[in-house]
Amino acid sequence: MKKRLFATLAATVLAASALAQQAAPAPVPGWAVGRPAGSTLAPHAPKLTATPLADVPVGAIRVPPGFKVEVYAHGMPGARMMAEGPKGTVFAGSRAIGRVYAITRNADGSTRTRVVAQGLPQPNGLVMIGDSLYVLAVNRVLRYDNIEANLDNVPTPVDLTAAFALPTEAEHGGNHHWKFASLGPDGRIYTNVGVNCNVCDFDRDKFALLVSFNPDGSGRRVEARGVRNSVGMAHHPVTRELWATNNGRDWAGNEWPHDTLHRVRASGEDHGFPYCTGNTPDPQFNKGRSCGDFVAPAALLGPHVAALGMRFYTGSMFPAEYRNQLIMARRGSWNRERLTGFDLVVAHLDAQGNVARLEEFMTGLRDDANQRFLDRPVDVHVMRDGSLLVAGEQMGAIYRITYAR
Amino acid sequence: MKRAALAAALLWAAAFSPAAQARDPARGAAIAAQRCAACHGADGRSIAAEIPMLAGQQREFVTLQLILFREGIRPVPAMQAAADKLSDEDVEALAAHYAGLPARAAERAPRDAALAARGQAVSAARNCGVCHLPDYAGRAQVPRLTRQHEAFLARTLAEYRDGRRVGIDTQMNGAVQGLADADIAALAHHLAHRD
Repeated sequence: MKKRLFATLAATVLAASALAQQAAPAPVPGWAVGRPAGSTLAPHAPKLTATPLADVPVGAIRVPPGFKVEVYAHGMPGARMMAEGPKGTVFAGSRAIGRVYAITRNADGSTRTRVVAQGLPQPNGLVMIGDSLYVLAVNRVLRYDNIEANLDNVPTPVDLTAAFALPTEAEHGGNHHWKFASLGPDGRIYTNVGVNCNVCDFDRDKFALLVSFNPDGSGRRVEARGVRNSVGMAHHPVTRELWATNNGRDWAGNEWPHDTLHRVRASGEDHGFPYCTGNTPDPQFNKGRSCGDFVAPAALLGPHVAALGMRFYTGSMFPAEYRNQLIMARRGSWNRERLTGFDLVVAHLDAQGNVARLEEFMTGLRDDANQRFLDRPVDVHVMRDGSLLVAGEQMGAIYRITYAR
Repeated sequence: MKRAALAAALLWAAAFSPAAQARDPARGAAIAAQRCAACHGADGRSIAAEIPMLAGQQREFVTLQLILFREGIRPVPAMQAAADKLSDEDVEALAAHYAGLPARAAERAPRDAALAARGQAVSAARNCGVCHLPDYAGRAQVPRLTRQHEAFLARTLAEYRDGRRVGIDTQMNGAVQGLADADIAALAHHLAHRD
């Protein structure tokens, strides 16, 4: 019986490979490397039409006692990473819909939303330097000078693409080419260059990096290598060390690998991808490397949670225990049979700057009973009044969290 | 009684919530008659084999593609003009309209068994059924592939392969990378003859 089953299996495999040869199948696409046969897991559909206020699920959101959540702005499909201008305009980038939004506050406290750029390829990386908004869209780097004075008549941006010379969509093979951007305390622009596949052999001087540049695109410096795809980073307000979230590979099971939090103590450190993730060896790409040779992550953030935008809380509205602690958005999983993430987490640091504990700070958007989600938090931003903005990409809304004793 | 009244009230609220209004197929039908029917057919079934059938297409797929046309991300000149002034509510209503129309097979040449078999092998090798599902009905942002013009399917596959078609992500570009023209023709034939 067993033998017959084996023979049938072998025949099936042979037939399948014969068919495959006949059909000349090519290389598996980068994103699907390692995908088990028969899996029907696929990324969740985005929503790129405006969601009316009545349908924004603010009532489902849970925060600790004393905190309150409201809708700050809505009707911005696909809104993602945020940056704030000196006059208080909040800018939000996006991915597929190609837009950059500007949100201003009216005298009565309500908000007004404008589209200030459109038709861009994945304009996810925003950074404000003085009066200039920098938009990083894959390899394009565009600088919009004096933008807050010209929201209704946005001037043609200065094109810095050639100076930054980031890898193109084609070089990325369409994989992990969108950017996160952050202004360092040294005045440099920090960003990511994601890996050009799910997991593969790749040029480790070109992909899976954290890099920094002078604002004019000169002086490229590798801050960390072996970081698969970071879509969130910030400098610690006291130690000035660079911290970054990182997305682990797909198709390696429900529980491995975790997404990771990285602390960069010195420029150029190696954090191990693809050989090791979360200080454990990759099942296919370890190549005999000892994970002890690489910088261990500062924290494991949960399997497939998609930890993205992060900031240190530098405001004074929240209780003292949140001061200088790290708040991050977990966009939520697709490559896992049961959903994880769809929340905000605070990493509380001890006196040595090590992660002492992770607190699930904002929850309620993941519906475990029905295995569905209500929104996908992707970025956080600390306002000058100490309130915290949270970008909800799926519903195109920005929430505001406040605290009152 | 109370429960029935509550249920009725909830139903009423659901029917008149902004989202429900936006997804009103009757409103979509009115827009379609003016803007879309000349090319895509009065019943969502286009005559020209280069123009896609929309009847029975996935609602979220139609929504997302219309947004990509309007925003100039998916560059098809004829569609960019057609989608230019559509509001998000118009787009959702149109998608609800086309998703609700019955899909029927296109006019098609006789099935070539050998070509269809080769196409089926290509589909198996490239895992088309994983995202589009084994019956190719599609789901959410992943389109239905059956009851579609063979010529349109072939052209679309070639555009993805050659990097000329932009989707909401690059999954299709990866999925058809490196396919020979003959494989594309076979795959299109296989899909067009699956009901």
